[in-house]
Amino acid sequence: MSLDLEHIMNVLPQRYPFRFVDRVISFNEGKREITCIKNFSMNEYFFSGHFPGNPVVPGVIMIEAMAQAAILLFGALKPDVAAQKPDFFLGRVEAKFKKPVYPGDTLVIEATAAKILDSSGIVEAAAKVKNGVCAQTTIAFGVKINT
Amino acid sequence: MAPKNFEVIKQEVKKAVAAIIEIPESKLTDDIKFIEDLGIDSMMALEIVASIEKKYKIVIPEEDIPKMRCLRDIYNSLEKKL
Repeated sequence: MSLDLEHIMNVLPQRYPFRFVDRVISFNEGKREITCIKNFSMNEYFFSGHFPGNPVVPGVIMIEAMAQAAILLFGALKPDVAAQKPDFFLGRVEAKFKKPVYPGDTLVIEATAAKILDSSGIVEAAAKVKNGVCAQTTIAFGVKINT
Repeated sequence: MAPKNFEVIKQEVKKAVAAIIEIPESKLTDDIKFIEDLGIDSMMALEIVASIEKKYKIVIPEEDIPKMRCLRDIYNSLEKKL
């Protein structure tokens, strides 16, 4: 099953300039896995400051990209809840950073559900570029439906 | 998984729960209520459930989670599943 950009836009509350998933390339319901990509072009607004003359994707942006993949995974596994446009909020993040990500890199984010409930979730994610894993994280998040 | 003495499992669970909710094990009695007495929120509950599932390779259904109101409830549920 592949989810299109329109679906992403429907599930993800984030918008430009804070949307860090370009596309979902696969979703495996049985394995509870989703794979997303984000292309970091030189035009990203944060490269001018992080860092001048030495552009590197900030680690917090990589965490945000993995958290957005976690939201998409939640939306794919719990479509009825996601359809109610809930708020998603981070509870806890554990992260390891292994390699820098540069302008021109395509980040491939693989996110797997450790546990997903209607009101919260724990997702394990890895962000990769072609030469290997750049970051790994475990994200616990809450889901609150606005009444 | 090789069968473990259930008392050992209880100690492991107690240690894990105390670490997640950040209280000393000595304060975590078998009957102290997670929500009323310890203020555990839904996300901590999820972390407890996920850590138990991962460690003992079991699945705790979503509808069973609200029934786990204290450590003893977790022990009773685990004893049936292991």
